[in-house]
Amino acid sequence: MQILSDFQLHRPASLDEAVQLRSELGDGAALYAGGTELLLALKMGVLEYEHLIDVKRIPGLNAIEVQGAALRIGATATHRDIETSPLVAEHVPALSKLARHVANVRVRAAGTLAGNLAFGEPHADPAALLVALGATVELLSSGGRRSLPVEQFAVGAYETELGEDELIEAVVVPLPTAQTRATYLKFQVLERPTVGVAAVARDGDAPTVVVGAVDEKPVRIEASDGVEDYVNAARDAVDPVDDLSGSAEYKRHLTGVIVRRALEALAA
Amino acid sequence: MAEPSVSGTSIPRLDGPAKVMGRAKYALDLDIPGAAHGVAVRADRAHARIIGVDASKAEALPGVIAVVTAASVAPIDVRFGHISRDHPALAVDKVRYAGEPVALVVAETRRAAEKAARLVRVTYEDLPAVIDAEDALADGAPLLHEVHPGRTGDEGFHNTGADALEGNLCAANLIEWGDLEAELAAADVVVEGEYRYPMLYGYAMEPYNATALFEEGTLTVYTTAQHPYMVRDDLARMFALPLARVRVVVPYVGGGYGTKSYTKVEPLAALGAYATGRPVRVALSVEEAIFTTRSDGAVIRARSAFKSDGTLLARDFDIVMNSGAYSDNSPLVCAKLAARAFGPYRLNALRVRCRSAFTNTTPASSLRGFGAPQGNLAGELQMDEAADRLGIDARELRLLNVVRPGEEILPGKRGIDADLAADLELLTESLGWGEREGVGFGLAASDAGAHPTSTALVRIHGDGSASCAIGATELGQGSRTVLSQILADGLGLPFEKVSIVQSDTGVVAYERTTGASRTTTLVGRSLLAACDDARRRIRELAAEYAADVQDAPGGVVADGEHLSYGAVIRKWFGSGGEVVGVGAIRRHGEFEKLPPFWEIGASGVAVSVDEETGRVVVEQLTTVGDVGFAINPLLVHGQDLGAATMTLGAALSEELVYDGTTLSNPNVVEYRVPRVSDMPAKIDQILAERRDGIGPFGAKGGGEGAGNTIGAAVAAAVGRLLGRYPRELPLTPERVWRLAQEAAPDRETEAVRG
Amino acid sequence: MTMTTTRISGTINGREVTTEVDNATLLLDLLRDLGLTGAKPSCEMEVCGACAVQLDGLPVSACTTLAIELDGRTVETVEGLAQSADALHPVQRAFLQKSAFQCGFCTPGMIMSAKALLEANPSPSRDDVVHWLEGSICRCTGYESIVEAVLEAAEEMRNG
Repeated sequence: MQILSDFQLHRPASLDEAVQLRSELGDGAALYAGGTELLLALKMGVLEYEHLIDVKRIPGLNAIEVQGAALRIGATATHRDIETSPLVAEHVPALSKLARHVANVRVRAAGTLAGNLAFGEPHADPAALLVALGATVELLSSGGRRSLPVEQFAVGAYETELGEDELIEAVVVPLPTAQTRATYLKFQVLERPTVGVAAVARDGDAPTVVVGAVDEKPVRIEASDGVEDYVNAARDAVDPVDDLSGSAEYKRHLTGVIVRRALEALAA
Repeated sequence: MAEPSVSGTSIPRLDGPAKVMGRAKYALDLDIPGAAHGVAVRADRAHARIIGVDASKAEALPGVIAVVTAASVAPIDVRFGHISRDHPALAVDKVRYAGEPVALVVAETRRAAEKAARLVRVTYEDLPAVIDAEDALADGAPLLHEVHPGRTGDEGFHNTGADALEGNLCAANLIEWGDLEAELAAADVVVEGEYRYPMLYGYAMEPYNATALFEEGTLTVYTTAQHPYMVRDDLARMFALPLARVRVVVPYVGGGYGTKSYTKVEPLAALGAYATGRPVRVALSVEEAIFTTRSDGAVIRARSAFKSDGTLLARDFDIVMNSGAYSDNSPLVCAKLAARAFGPYRLNALRVRCRSAFTNTTPASSLRGFGAPQGNLAGELQMDEAADRLGIDARELRLLNVVRPGEEILPGKRGIDADLAADLELLTESLGWGEREGVGFGLAASDAGAHPTSTALVRIHGDGSASCAIGATELGQGSRTVLSQILADGLGLPFEKVSIVQSDTGVVAYERTTGASRTTTLVGRSLLAACDDARRRIRELAAEYAADVQDAPGGVVADGEHLSYGAVIRKWFGSGGEVVGVGAIRRHGEFEKLPPFWEIGASGVAVSVDEETGRVVVEQLTTVGDVGFAINPLLVHGQDLGAATMTLGAALSEELVYDGTTLSNPNVVEYRVPRVSDMPAKIDQILAERRDGIGPFGAKGGGEGAGNTIGAAVAAAVGRLLGRYPRELPLTPERVWRLAQEAAPDRETEAVRG
Repeated sequence: MTMTTTRISGTINGREVTTEVDNATLLLDLLRDLGLTGAKPSCEMEVCGACAVQLDGLPVSACTTLAIELDGRTVETVEGLAQSADALHPVQRAFLQKSAFQCGFCTPGMIMSAKALLEANPSPSRDDVVHWLEGSICRCTGYESIVEAVLEAAEEMRNG
């Protein structure tokens, strides 16, 4: 399998250059970072672009750092960078663990967290936990910067709020307090998760529970108290479809099971 | 023959250094100068008449050499098939499954060929399609082959249920003896059920590829084939060439497991070369490989009748196989499935009716075990279900009914050359049967080895070293190493002094196939015969100079003096020279009775089940390799674990899923084969070497048997945990969850009963 | 004028390579065109690992990596590990010793993935090995011998 379409390659040396290219080239260009999703799509011919903007070589864009009360993960930080980052392990260990279990080691070595969000693949791990953690994406265009909660950034299957002239500069995760507990638990049969559940409990508050990989975008579970309440609410909230991972009925059931287990893990 | 000294040791593999260094060349790695690239244009629908092929846009693309269709190569008859010559390499008049090649684009580069292939416009008139095998056999079903192909290929396959074939019936076999109805009437317990075994993709990691060229009137093909001689025969028929003018060369092969049995992609490459005069390489993607061959799915209705004391009286199987659009090897699988369903048990009466149906799906063919895993699922699960109904331990029930060494399980066939009862004891002891929950195990005996035709050529060189030329293919099973060990022992030479050339029909001796676990046994025997012949020639030469000549390791003793082979050869020729020995076996003498040996399966598992999610975890796997004599024990272990692992995939996750007429998962992203994390924490591999086989030093076949019982064993283990036996594989989490749901009320009732 | 090629230079198995490639060229095709046929195409969708090579030390799927990624970087393939059978890398030796292959088609990728693991983590647990090799498919062996080989190589490299 080869990439049959020809494209021009642009290698901006700075964010400014990248933003400039974004506004010039519009929807004829794809942002290229890890390429783990993009190149597959190009190979299969489901996507074609005249231009690729390779942001990987922009210095510093892969930085992971604590800025103020937030962990800032640069757009070209790979899943493996996150998995092995001492800062992530210290402040958001649930994210380290999640990163350790994304796809396989080769995808983790190339694929980026920002790219994962930008591609909008519904059957993916990171979004659910990021939503539960209240993470935002920092978007940059020639018009300036804006910040958007991941929850709003994700619109649907392969659909996001990313503008044609924009790029993700960083994913920003508010630093959880010392008392915050967070977990991400998934059930997976094929290459992508069937159900992924993030649960975050801040300072003794009722946990925030977000179900990923079932619907086209992460689903926040509204419940007041008690594990069973969450389980029932989650089963009601999701809208699964039949696919190779299982029937809608099974996935609805499974959502309840994984929500219960995630909450139990949180309490343990 | 003297006791072997090289055979029986785990000598390191000859192909090891090349393989770990990345230097081993597979067909895909060969650099054939001037080769153009062929890419197939494939049907996007399951059943349709071809109205027209418009290749003008494709032909206009830079780098495109030709767009080849069946019509463009007339009068070549593009059909092939070793049993039925029913399979057009490029569709003729109509397409019979989605993914079928309609045209071949040949271009200077692979990329140009792929681009052009997308520009070929084929117009169709859709026909009603049939995907399900039982639907295909029903009255009024859409007909795949307007003229039934019958049996038109190799005469060696004309025993494959050729009578009364019509409609979509690809093959049919009936095995019957005793008075079934009387035995059923006399039974105290009759277990009855319907079992389903999925269609599988074998996923040999090197997808099918071939490079063909016509040169000096000879067609040469470098390919991934397991059976180069069978491919030679098909190509000779297609191009009306003498066998001597077709050369099929097989370098290292990236996995076979039966998937590369018989002709696959070679005709496409050869037609490309024929049409363009260029060497043409056709290298398939995994998706295209899935559209080339899969294994036969099966629906098996079974009844097993027992006396209350556990005596098995009779069995009745009605099997329908989904065999896809063309015969390929399904008729043979049909015959084997029939013979492998009922198990190695004494029976007063048996009826097995097995039908193979044409459907508008990828053609089905052999895959490791060859019908055995399908049949075993029903046959062995019924033993377990019966044990529960009878209140008899499942091991004891088998021990009560299993045949003993020498007993026949098929009238007129070779008696069982194995001690299955002893194997079962080893197996159940390893698994902790009776001491832990979630254990499943089973027995299988397969009529193996295919037709006993094999030849070998041994050359003893002037320095006393020796080489052999063998038609058996190195697929990874280790035949290169094992046959070299046998050669060394056959001539009394150290391992370092022998070598082997394999799988080039222009050079090596004829070998019918590489499959059915025949290589060590049958090729080993023809090789030993060639060694004997070479030694006889050496003695004849020595006898010209000495009065008394006796065999000795690595040479002869002539009038009391030890002479090496080399010394004899050099003395006789004066300068240079070599001695050639030929060996052959055929269906004659000790090979008269088929099968030449029985391939034994005695494997089992211990599992745990997460009933809420339905996930099954295999905690332990045990294989008992009843191989007679392990020429190379480490390689036998490798084969057994590999075979068992493959069937674990079928048991737990593998299944080609059709959504309407479209295959939903033609890739290994959505078709899940076992990963390292799926492997059990405990693996116990036992060898049972009783020297009871027909092969060299008492060897029998291995490499399939270990997988044949795994599907039923996993199902039985899960069934014991849930209180209800599954009857359909794979046991995906959802299926297990549903089974647990269904079983829950029963278990509650039992709990109440106490 | 639009340029759809790029001039790149990088290091392959210790050797500087400078070449002009089509932007769409995949690293696997570049390597194989250079005669380095150890890495194999198989699934072509990043799940099987037969095409695994090390890019700046980490394993990547060469089938889904652009050749331009070589620019300014270092690629190692199985061919770079040893020039002769007498001078094998410890991972290669362990694969031989444990008979951790059969058809051998997955072996180059498996070995490069294992080598990358041992460079990242010289003392992996059995679970670490399993986790790392989860994305590497072998259809012949049943994996057990491969896991054992990697653990043995780790020990040899620690002691060596």
